[in-house]
Amino acid sequence: MFIARGIGVSLALFLLVYVPASLAVSRGWNLLQEVFDPRTARASASLLFALRMLPFVLASVFTLGLPLPSFLLLEPRSTDETVGAAPLVLGLCCLALLVAGIVQAASAQMKTSQALIKWLDGSTVMDSTDAVPVFRTAKDTPSLTVAGVREPKVLVSEAAIAALTATELRAALKHEVAHAQSYDNLKKLLFRFSVFPGMTGLERAWSEQTELAADDAAVLCCQDALDLASALIKVSRLTTLQPTAALTTGLLHSSTALGTRVQRLVSWENAPAPTPSSTRWRYALPSLSGVLFLVVVTYGPMLNGLHLITEWLVR
Amino acid sequence: MNSIYQFLGRSPKSQLGPLERQLLEELWKCKSATVRELLDHGDLKLAYTTVMTTLDRLYKKRLLDRVAEGRAFRYSPRHTQEEIKKAAAGETIRQLLSSSPAASLPLSYLVEAVSEHDAGLLDELQHLLDRKLRQIAKEKA
Repeated sequence: MFIARGIGVSLALFLLVYVPASLAVSRGWNLLQEVFDPRTARASASLLFALRMLPFVLASVFTLGLPLPSFLLLEPRSTDETVGAAPLVLGLCCLALLVAGIVQAASAQMKTSQALIKWLDGSTVMDSTDAVPVFRTAKDTPSLTVAGVREPKVLVSEAAIAALTATELRAALKHEVAHAQSYDNLKKLLFRFSVFPGMTGLERAWSEQTELAADDAAVLCCQDALDLASALIKVSRLTTLQPTAALTTGLLHSSTALGTRVQRLVSWENAPAPTPSSTRWRYALPSLSGVLFLVVVTYGPMLNGLHLITEWLVR
Repeated sequence: MNSIYQFLGRSPKSQLGPLERQLLEELWKCKSATVRELLDHGDLKLAYTTVMTTLDRLYKKRLLDRVAEGRAFRYSPRHTQEEIKKAAAGETIRQLLSSSPAASLPLSYLVEAVSEHDAGLLDELQHLLDRKLRQIAKEKA
């Protein structure tokens, strides 16, 4: 009973932090992006990823750092107290949310693994000096893809190889390798795990920024940029779809993103002037240290206070 | 092209079987043929009625055209091999994307699939790129 009460109360408090934090992030990520004003696509993608994961990390750190130790240290083990209705309902809601996240992540991973098995059927390994293996796949597979979470692989279809010149293919492969090296697929899986409605806008913005960041990583000079732009257009022509009602938004979005990417690459300038980093980041480390110091100093009283809140919640 | 997408958009059961695929490939090779011509000139070791039924099925799936020729039909593929392969690749992505919200699968594409309506946009982007390449060539000259 002691363990059951501990788990119930911890899950309830996890939810009490997770839901408001997620709501705040889903409503205010745009504003925070403007405040921090990241100068590069990679920095922007990192900020968006951090914001997307913040509610889950915050709720986990809070639960493991405060309610759980408070319960284990201060709650008498032999008591006839039962779990109240409020923590029971909240705990069950939290459990449902966590299970939904696990199911979504597992389903996404399974679906991808099945597709990968199909695409890799009859594939051959291409010569590649990169740390990420590159596979040549059949014509009726997606043109250029990075698949796999723990060990990402780059897949290039025969149709793409036939359509692209050597320099275009090299630029496109560098773009895909950049995705693999920044573990973008793993991040996508984490999004599915930390499920919360209303995060689509943030995830879409993150996705766009990762594409721009991978473009940046693939381009060293103006010629690379033009090669990549040409590869984007050619690969887009290889796979065109008839829009369906369910897909319209996604397709319009991807077309807009494609236009932005090509225009950005075409207007690329060699050796861009280094942009000064935002001064707001300079305050982040001292602020974090201050918060940590406060937490350490007030940890004991906080445990006691939280135990009182827990007692009130259980009743 | 619509018929390819309509066909590929159906359940896997309605997609091509090995015999249908084999006959379609024979027709791609010879452009058009009657059942008798396929049996006489191809490497098919099949009964006349089997080939006739399979071609009729492909016609009903809107993958073949046919015109009456005497008491038989002359069949020809409605789409090229490239068109079918392109549609199949697009369909794989469409199925993956439509089953989940955007950015939900742990996969990264060089570009997400674009719709046929975006062909104009691709032309514009190509024009932009060509203009830039011409400008660079002029500067070098």
